[in-house]
Amino acid sequence: MKIHKIPRRMMLKSLGTATVGLPLLEEMLVSRVSAAPAQAVPVRAFNVFFGLGIPAPLQTEGFDGVLEPLKPLGDKLLIMRNVDQVRCDEKGINAHYDGATGAFTAEPPDGEAKSGGPSIDQVVRKAHYPKGLPKGMVSTLVGGTFFRRSRVGRYVHSYNQDGTVAATMQEKPRALFDRVFGSISMSGDNTDVRRKRLKLSVLDSVVDDYKFYTGANSPLGSASKARVADHLDRIREFEQRAFALKQKDPNAPNLPPRSKILHGGPADPGGMGVDITLEELTTEWRLMADLYALAIQMDRVRFGSLTFLAAGERIRLKGDYKYNGKKLWQFDDAGQQKASGDRGCSHEWWHKFDEKKKNEALRAHAHMKMREVAYFLQRLNDSDSKEVNGKTILENSLITISTESGDGRHNNVKRELSGVFHAITGANGRFKTGQIMDVGAEGIDVYNTMLKGMEVKDQLGPAKRKTNAVDSIRA
Amino acid sequence: MTRKSSRIFEINKCHSWVLLILVFSIVPLHAATPRVARDLQVWYIFDAEKGDTIQDRSGVGKPLDLKIEKPSAVQWKKDLLVVRSSTKIRSSTPATKLINAVKRSGSITVEAWVKPANVGQKGPARIVSISSNSSQRNVTLGQDGKKYEVRLRTTGTSTNGIPAIISPNNAAKTALTHIVYTRDVSGTARFFVNGKQQSSKKVTGKLSNWSKDFRLLLANEMTGDRPWLGEYHLVAVYSRALTVKEIAQNFRAGATSKLSKEESKESLAASRARHVFETQVAPLIAQNCLDCHDSASKKGRLDLSRKVTALAGGESGKVIVPGKASESLLWDQIESGDMPPKGALTNQQKKILKEWIDNGAVWSIDVIDPAVYEHDSRASDVWVQRLTISEYIETVRSSVGVDISKEARELLPPDLRADGFSNTAYNLNVDLKHVEIYARLAEIIVDRMDVLKFASRFSKSKKLSTDATMRQFVASMGKWLLRGPLDEREVTIYSGIATTVASTGGDYKEAVRYLIEAMLQSPRFIYRIENQRGDGTAWPVGDFELASRMSYIIWGGPPDQELNRAAEAGELHDEKALEKQLRRMLQDPRAVERSLLFISEWLNLDRMHNLSPDRKRFPKWDDALADDMREETRAFFKEVVWQQKRPLADLLNAQVTYATPRLAVHYGIKPKGSGLQRYDLSAVPARGGLLTQGSVLTVGGDDASMVTRGLFVLHGILRGAVKDPPPGLDTTPVPSKPGLSQRHIAEQRIANTACAGCHVKFEPLAFGLEKFDGLGAFHNKDEHGNQLRDDGEILFPGAAKAIPYKTSSELMNLLAGSSRVQKSITWKVTQFALGRPLVAADARVIDQIHEAARKNGGTYSDLVIAIVKSDLVHKTRTEAK
Repeated sequence: MKIHKIPRRMMLKSLGTATVGLPLLEEMLVSRVSAAPAQAVPVRAFNVFFGLGIPAPLQTEGFDGVLEPLKPLGDKLLIMRNVDQVRCDEKGINAHYDGATGAFTAEPPDGEAKSGGPSIDQVVRKAHYPKGLPKGMVSTLVGGTFFRRSRVGRYVHSYNQDGTVAATMQEKPRALFDRVFGSISMSGDNTDVRRKRLKLSVLDSVVDDYKFYTGANSPLGSASKARVADHLDRIREFEQRAFALKQKDPNAPNLPPRSKILHGGPADPGGMGVDITLEELTTEWRLMADLYALAIQMDRVRFGSLTFLAAGERIRLKGDYKYNGKKLWQFDDAGQQKASGDRGCSHEWWHKFDEKKKNEALRAHAHMKMREVAYFLQRLNDSDSKEVNGKTILENSLITISTESGDGRHNNVKRELSGVFHAITGANGRFKTGQIMDVGAEGIDVYNTMLKGMEVKDQLGPAKRKTNAVDSIRA
Repeated sequence: MTRKSSRIFEINKCHSWVLLILVFSIVPLHAATPRVARDLQVWYIFDAEKGDTIQDRSGVGKPLDLKIEKPSAVQWKKDLLVVRSSTKIRSSTPATKLINAVKRSGSITVEAWVKPANVGQKGPARIVSISSNSSQRNVTLGQDGKKYEVRLRTTGTSTNGIPAIISPNNAAKTALTHIVYTRDVSGTARFFVNGKQQSSKKVTGKLSNWSKDFRLLLANEMTGDRPWLGEYHLVAVYSRALTVKEIAQNFRAGATSKLSKEESKESLAASRARHVFETQVAPLIAQNCLDCHDSASKKGRLDLSRKVTALAGGESGKVIVPGKASESLLWDQIESGDMPPKGALTNQQKKILKEWIDNGAVWSIDVIDPAVYEHDSRASDVWVQRLTISEYIETVRSSVGVDISKEARELLPPDLRADGFSNTAYNLNVDLKHVEIYARLAEIIVDRMDVLKFASRFSKSKKLSTDATMRQFVASMGKWLLRGPLDEREVTIYSGIATTVASTGGDYKEAVRYLIEAMLQSPRFIYRIENQRGDGTAWPVGDFELASRMSYIIWGGPPDQELNRAAEAGELHDEKALEKQLRRMLQDPRAVERSLLFISEWLNLDRMHNLSPDRKRFPKWDDALADDMREETRAFFKEVVWQQKRPLADLLNAQVTYATPRLAVHYGIKPKGSGLQRYDLSAVPARGGLLTQGSVLTVGGDDASMVTRGLFVLHGILRGAVKDPPPGLDTTPVPSKPGLSQRHIAEQRIANTACAGCHVKFEPLAFGLEKFDGLGAFHNKDEHGNQLRDDGEILFPGAAKAIPYKTSSELMNLLAGSSRVQKSITWKVTQFALGRPLVAADARVIDQIHEAARKNGGTYSDLVIAIVKSDLVHKTRTEAK
């Protein structure tokens, strides 16, 4: 398996390999100290989403079953069973989609590309950084790999207050890298001070004009104003990257390799699915995980979401699946299902789940996804992730891991949206860890308890709804 | 004697008989004549009988109540107020709603039923005024001796509204008189006394210079030095010039307040009840009851989708007893939680239903259509529209003459589809990449321009200055590039760039270059900025806003010079002038391109680029066929809509198509010529219409799934709704095999009671397509040798009975002739035009649009004209400040 791990150390002390014209931002190199007070651990919140889910009966097996890959991190996670997302069901829409949009928002979707409310990470961001994140930071990073583009709510997992996506999805490693670490290449000679001044003057004028539309005298309504404010934030980021740089860093890291898997429209040929090997899939996933983790370690990102979506969608996976050196399964979705097209795709295993049977293929897929999620989490738990309080980023951040269903058979909404797998990190001692807990609560109450634990006043869901605090999860 | 005539008798009995005869002779007594309500902004009827407040009874926006400064100066009488000595009656805040509405529409009507105390008062003595002192006003209706006088501030008159329009001498009499002043958007002002026009005059200019700070006053000037004495019976102001007919109507309705008030109360109550039903009750019924109780399912013989059947009840008798929830079986079932079976309603939902029944169970629409309630009200939030990539390209091309399509399509992040279209405003968000690319594209665009030639359109001077000349240039160029006049703030911002260029030793050309670069990145270029602030009600859009709405709807680009001229002249609020512009715009090739984008989005034709069928199963497949199919549909649409100018529903059964020789062979038609060729399909019974084209037939995937195709027809063509599969059903698609065709499989599903309820609603819609395989080729037998069929039956959403068809072409004819299909197309085109999902609150207007378009022929042009003329385009929902 070709995994290109990019450690933070390499970013900082690159050995002088070929540079690719993507200079590091000056503040990136020192951002850990410049962006936050020296002794403070910043508030961070991320949503990690994986497709389809783990059927509730399999969750009861704990680390002996498909959750095995999470075991090494078990003391830093609170695994929650019996979380009910039934309220996210929207009539007439496949519950997969409802569950996917409901993950981290606890609200049914509001249209194809909108959630019914904000996601946890964004509510925390708003509360802890009401005036925005420190200069030059990416306000929200949404990344992930997925197939079948049909509904945005399936793959984006950070939502603004108004339910719109909090940031554009970066679906290729290079795009994510560029979003976080890329600078803006200006045409012409960047050393021409006069030209730079004129360009800045243009930008200043544009910024002034955008400011007006976000201000008190703006003619725009609140939704539009928020959109333009978002635009203004991006301009400021653009300004920072295009003009605030000094020299290009000669030790800049290599641009990540070009993605070898299909993306966008070609990844969804009429819903019929695509063929992909395990190596192709996990190489891509790990590269994304590396880059995302690096972005967090470099303190370029404090909020956002990462999506691992494959089996829930339309792929026909092939390849030997090994864990800890032992071959657990041979993926061959189409062959094992004796079907081609969409009927040969891995999501069919979820449709066919039967708790009285072995469900071997489903187990292998779920186990593999847990292995990949654990890989990402582990990246935030390594030596590069130690923070001033002696804990790792994984321990200090609020990382919420969830999925779309508690049962893949979408013919019983109640069953499908009950028992939806959830796991959270301790958020710097705010929540219990090292347990697998049967919370027996609605997702909305779990989320709102989490928000409370994060010292956030705002709550998810209808204003009048009475919150049933799930205090058992708080430390 | 009617109540009205008796009241007039009362009014006049204290005066001379001569006067009484005069009043009777001038006031026709049609007691039931309703007053004109459309575009009413304020309405006062003086029926308080005591106190110092006069309430605004318009029911429009925030009431603009008036306060009597010196109550001792007035005397209340029944339905009138006598001003006996000098006082001021004024609003406590500026007349904002009125001022905004009038400024936007460029037109006004001031109406008053008054009786002057004498014919000697001068000043003119202020009867109705929006002003701040004797020389600063927006509008004033006054009495100057025996004449009435109206002063209106426009950009063509003074701030005092001079020159004024003056009535003939002796128009002012000490009798109850109906006075109306109108001024339309083209500048024609008219003055009417007792329903008859007395004078007319051109009052040029626009109302854009109206002050937002003036209050509404009666009986005096703000400064207290222009008192008017007499009786007030009624005062109203409209944001529109009433027509002669309407003025006569209001005259016939009379000065009486009581009758009007009662009518108004009734109509207000009726309108409120209608609103409750359409926005709260109907969605509840649609979402919770119609799965089992629509015309098709009708469990317990109860059909709650139709007014008549719902009120008639089911096998248990009447279920709704208007006015008595406690006696209504419907409420009984809901209160107990027995219905709906999938789970009880919330307390709030129950409350809505109970109150609705207790308040008379007003059922204001004939049929509840679940599709209307698909999007909840949040989806109709007002979102500023960012230009889509295609709109950006067209805007650049039209504004500065540069073709940036290659770079824009390559560099800008794609606009993703949401709710069926990629121009859905709420989903047009912005990322760092947008900002970066807008900046880069602006550079490329300016590089390609002849900057000096472009600048010469806006200024003769080629000197780099930092004075008024540069400001004028910025204002003039900005007005063109940013699609409307710039205000001082904007002129100052952008002029600053010229100053910077000058300070670094640059020249005029360089300054213009950077100015254009900045404007190309500005919010008013990238977004379609409109005023969205107001009082929470729908306000008319401004002239330039309307021009932009029109041009982006019809062309997907900015207004041209002619449209800007019409906007500037205020012509777009005049129906005839508007229609003339629309007809002109629809002749432009850009209108055709825009319509092709619509069909492409509606049918998601771009998905054809990604078609990748199983090669083993379809060894003859050629990737180029996917493009041919896409082009077929576009060419077909162009012919039916633009060349033959046929009603849009004919897209479903027009006997013509376009195909390359390769596609013709794929379809089993004898190929001819090269490239895309026209084929008459009259002799090809299996083909004809969109649903028989490869671009649509491929939606079912390699297996030509009946479920997928049926759902496409249900959702995309019929705007139907269907619920999730019932519990316990294996949803894995069942493959065909010898002796078991897809039709058989579908019929088995329909025969299964667990599936029938839903599958009968959509699978038969695809029966007529069974002879087309997953790639649109025609066969009489499938790969297993099963005989294929194309007969079936279609159940239109909302209908009780399915209609049988024998062949595919019969199905196409049924679809094309269906009012449901026709209306669905209206919904789709309207959604694309507005760039947002449609919601229940739009349903009434869409019905009107559909009806207007249908009456005119039902073509694409007819529909677009009806859309643009509707309130959905002419008004914008505002947010309260």
